[in-house]
Amino acid sequence: MALLEVSDISVQFGGIRALDDLSFTLEEGQILGLIGPNGAGKTTLFNVVSRIYDPTAGSVTFDGKDLLAMSAHQISRVGVYRTFQNLALWPGMTVIENVMVGDHTNTKSNVISAALRLPSMRSEEKDLRNRAWAALEEIGLEEVAFHPAAGLPFGTLKRIELARALIANPRLIMLDEPASGLTHAEVDSLAQDIKGLRDRHNLTVLLVEHHMKMVLGISEKLVVLNFGRKIADGDPDVVRNDPEVIEAYLGSS
Amino acid sequence: MSSPLVVVAKGGAEHKRWQYVQYLYLASFVLLVPVVLQPFEIGKMNRALVLSVAILAVNLVVGFNGMLALGHSAFMGVGAFVTASLVQDENWDFWMALPVVVMVGFVLGILVGLPALRVKGLYLALITIAQATVFPTLVNIDELGIAKRTGGPNGKGVSEEVIAPSYFEWLPGVDGARGGSAYRYWCIILILGITLLLVTNYIRSRPGRAVLAIRDNEAGAAVYGVNLPVVKTVNFAISAGLGSLAGLMWCLDKGFVAGQDFTFLLAVDLIIGLVIGGVGTLQGSLLGGLFVVWVNDLTKRITIPLGLYTLNGDGPLAKAIFGLILILFTFFAPGGIVSLAKSVQNKLIKVVPIRPDGTPAEDVDSFDPGMESDRAQSAMKLAILGPVLLTIGWLLMNVNNLIVGCVAFGLRFSILVTAPVAMLVGSNELKALLAGRRPESIKAQASMARLLGGLGFLFVLLYGLWLFKTQYSSR
Amino acid sequence: MTWNFDILPDFVFNGLSLGAIYGTVALSLVLIFKATTLINFATGELAMIGAFMVYVLHMEQGLWLWLSILIAMIISAGLGALIERTLTRPFDPADHLPVVLITLGLFLIFNALAGDIWNYQVRILSNPFGKFPSWVPGLGGDRFVMVLGSRLKYQSIGIWVTLALALFLLGLILNRTKMGLAFRAVSSNVESARLVGVHTGRTLGFGWALASAFGTLGAVLVAPQLGGVNPNMMATILIYALAGAALGGLDSMGGAVMGGVLIGLIQAVLVMWLGVVVMGQAYMSILQLAAAFVLILIVLLFRPSGLFGSRRVERV
Repeated sequence: MALLEVSDISVQFGGIRALDDLSFTLEEGQILGLIGPNGAGKTTLFNVVSRIYDPTAGSVTFDGKDLLAMSAHQISRVGVYRTFQNLALWPGMTVIENVMVGDHTNTKSNVISAALRLPSMRSEEKDLRNRAWAALEEIGLEEVAFHPAAGLPFGTLKRIELARALIANPRLIMLDEPASGLTHAEVDSLAQDIKGLRDRHNLTVLLVEHHMKMVLGISEKLVVLNFGRKIADGDPDVVRNDPEVIEAYLGSS
Repeated sequence: MSSPLVVVAKGGAEHKRWQYVQYLYLASFVLLVPVVLQPFEIGKMNRALVLSVAILAVNLVVGFNGMLALGHSAFMGVGAFVTASLVQDENWDFWMALPVVVMVGFVLGILVGLPALRVKGLYLALITIAQATVFPTLVNIDELGIAKRTGGPNGKGVSEEVIAPSYFEWLPGVDGARGGSAYRYWCIILILGITLLLVTNYIRSRPGRAVLAIRDNEAGAAVYGVNLPVVKTVNFAISAGLGSLAGLMWCLDKGFVAGQDFTFLLAVDLIIGLVIGGVGTLQGSLLGGLFVVWVNDLTKRITIPLGLYTLNGDGPLAKAIFGLILILFTFFAPGGIVSLAKSVQNKLIKVVPIRPDGTPAEDVDSFDPGMESDRAQSAMKLAILGPVLLTIGWLLMNVNNLIVGCVAFGLRFSILVTAPVAMLVGSNELKALLAGRRPESIKAQASMARLLGGLGFLFVLLYGLWLFKTQYSSR
Repeated sequence: MTWNFDILPDFVFNGLSLGAIYGTVALSLVLIFKATTLINFATGELAMIGAFMVYVLHMEQGLWLWLSILIAMIISAGLGALIERTLTRPFDPADHLPVVLITLGLFLIFNALAGDIWNYQVRILSNPFGKFPSWVPGLGGDRFVMVLGSRLKYQSIGIWVTLALALFLLGLILNRTKMGLAFRAVSSNVESARLVGVHTGRTLGFGWALASAFGTLGAVLVAPQLGGVNPNMMATILIYALAGAALGGLDSMGGAVMGGVLIGLIQAVLVMWLGVVVMGQAYMSILQLAAAFVLILIVLLFRPSGLFGSRRVERV
């Protein structure tokens, strides 16, 4: 059975159909590239899966569980994490604190144990800090660990988001344009990083990216959207030669 | 000075020494208040500290959670009336009333917060303003026995015997009289200290970080598992409980509670204290309370004749001055006093965090006696500057002018920032001198001055201790 | 329990005229909210200053009442635009705190200045609608007319007519003038409005000006009900207006007026009538006070964006 099943999802904003009967599946361990021109509905899909938007119709199941029955903060409990296209970091905290909040779901200390600094809270805090450090090391961000998240370059912030998603041992990670703001060399190493992370952490990756070379390089499956509709789905080498896909990207001639 | 004078590792010996000096100054300040000041002045200090707790409560919601709660005067009022009623009418012990009062505030916070926090933006501001406006009239209602409990428009007095438990009589400044202002001061300091400790722990931990995350980016927080309505509501309820606690302290301080004390204007005072102290900082709440009381006191003494019209601070215009200060701070110092102080402190000392493997995250550059001479010069200047600023601050305090007064306030508190660093420099110099390894690279004059500077601060401290000793032993 | 319907119309009339005033002030709040997505907490105090201007012009300088009101409205409008230009425009409206602080500061300053200049005593201001004018056949000089067996005050009629006229005028301004059109464009989408060449800054100032003028009108109309003008006159009115605006939805002008009227009706009919007649005097004051507060809470629980407000989709 597929890990993530999106079936017949439609999203309507006023008169605009942002997603129209979208269905696809994502197998465990796969890297799926979701591509399409601007405004095709890629980020909308992310927002549906992470329960920020309510779809007008359809269903989303993850590992057999109905995601649409959960609210936004419960999604992380089943192991679904994401990054944001325009960043959703917390600039008032340091980088390492940002990453520590990343594992909010799997940590336990509450207001009382925190206020009294009970031993359970202190050991959890120490462990959390160590794991956050390890996640930062893995992404290569030790240097900025104690900086405030505000005021760092865009590319660094994107990587902080990656580290923040990684600390929680996610099963599915949704990356929203991770390569935006990076140089060509950085994009290449990011592609390798994503593959490496997937192998080391047994991740399943749903990737939205405009950088075609990178998407085609690492995706094992492609889903192409245009105006909220799926126009192609399958092996990258097949999909890239699909006439409808070429037309969507190049315009009809 | 672009790079900080001193870079120390967090938790290292030098960082600790620096912190101890800070604590020492703070402790001497806390100890001297009930001994040196007149009872009347202690009363004002008490009021300031009570406001500090209330401002801390507002800060939890506004500063740390980014929600606009503008009606904490009502929570204070509830706390004050519940305290008065329990202690005076039901003969409860004062300390027994405390947890009940906090719980009442907490539950009220949930009742108000649950609907108001569901929606974003200004609706919470709207509800809390309504709550603050309604409260003073609510206590005057004759029905349901409310006015009988609260004393209605006449207010409710609490006798000194019941408000003040008897086991603090040995503390400095307390001359045996239960309920005297020095006595109340110690009760207030005790509650304030514990509250500050608990709140600091709360904010700097998992639940506190979730609160901050909501302030900084709600969508991000939700995706990472923060239950927005629950965290917001619990935080708001804690804040309401603290506001209620501040009401209990108010009752302890004044021994009298009345509805007209807890109007919207009190809520605005809290906001002003918050902004001037520093939104979203723990120290700011403390300073804000002091500032509000002190400016209130200062404006009362100001009269400026402007031809036909005389600007008289002892009247309605005091509020206008507050309004003006609020606008000026919003425009020119949105971080409040704390951010101003921090920008000074950042030039003096930098505390480097420690990596999990135990090494500092950046190079530590402490002021070994080997530090090069231009930095030694800077340290010297700093060491001399501190006491000078303090003295000027004391002198300016007596000038009846708002702006000069504000500068004086800043100068007096500047010692809290400059003194510990200068003391650290001085003590290191002393150690090197005693060990006989004072290197030649430092100009003799510079190290001499640093010693003198250190001694200057010691003098301030010893003078205070001497005052303390003479006053205490004369009783 | 007796269900005495005979005096119900009394309360309805009363509630409708109170509600109209709340609606006016709520409209003032909403105009500013629509323009700049912020709540002007100094709205009440600005309106109070406007009422005092009328007091000075009419009672002290002897100007014709309606001329005084017009002048006061124009001066308040200027004051509102000035505040917008100098104090609120430098801040990002998405960050609520600074602007709320600014308006709170203004609230303190205006209240204190008025208190310093005019004391906190109530000063009588002529009622623009005290008695029916002599040209009304059969009623000239009377204070009320009997309708459905109840007294319908001339004051209530006057308030309704004035508000209706003002709303009509507002509609004309917003729909027929270039400035009004620009205002509507800016309030629906600042960025697009700027892109098509609307001078957004000037338009926001215009919104503040309209709002301040409306506030002043509300304050003048409410003064007779409070026995006159005084620096604290708008405190409770503002609360009811805020409740009205929340009820109607902060971004809906029609909703604001309807919300204000509803609040007035609820206050008068449900609370007074139910409280006095049905449940007995004892619970009246507590009901009346709590009504606005509880109502906002209920509205937020069940319809967070108000009865007529629009839900906004947020981009992430």
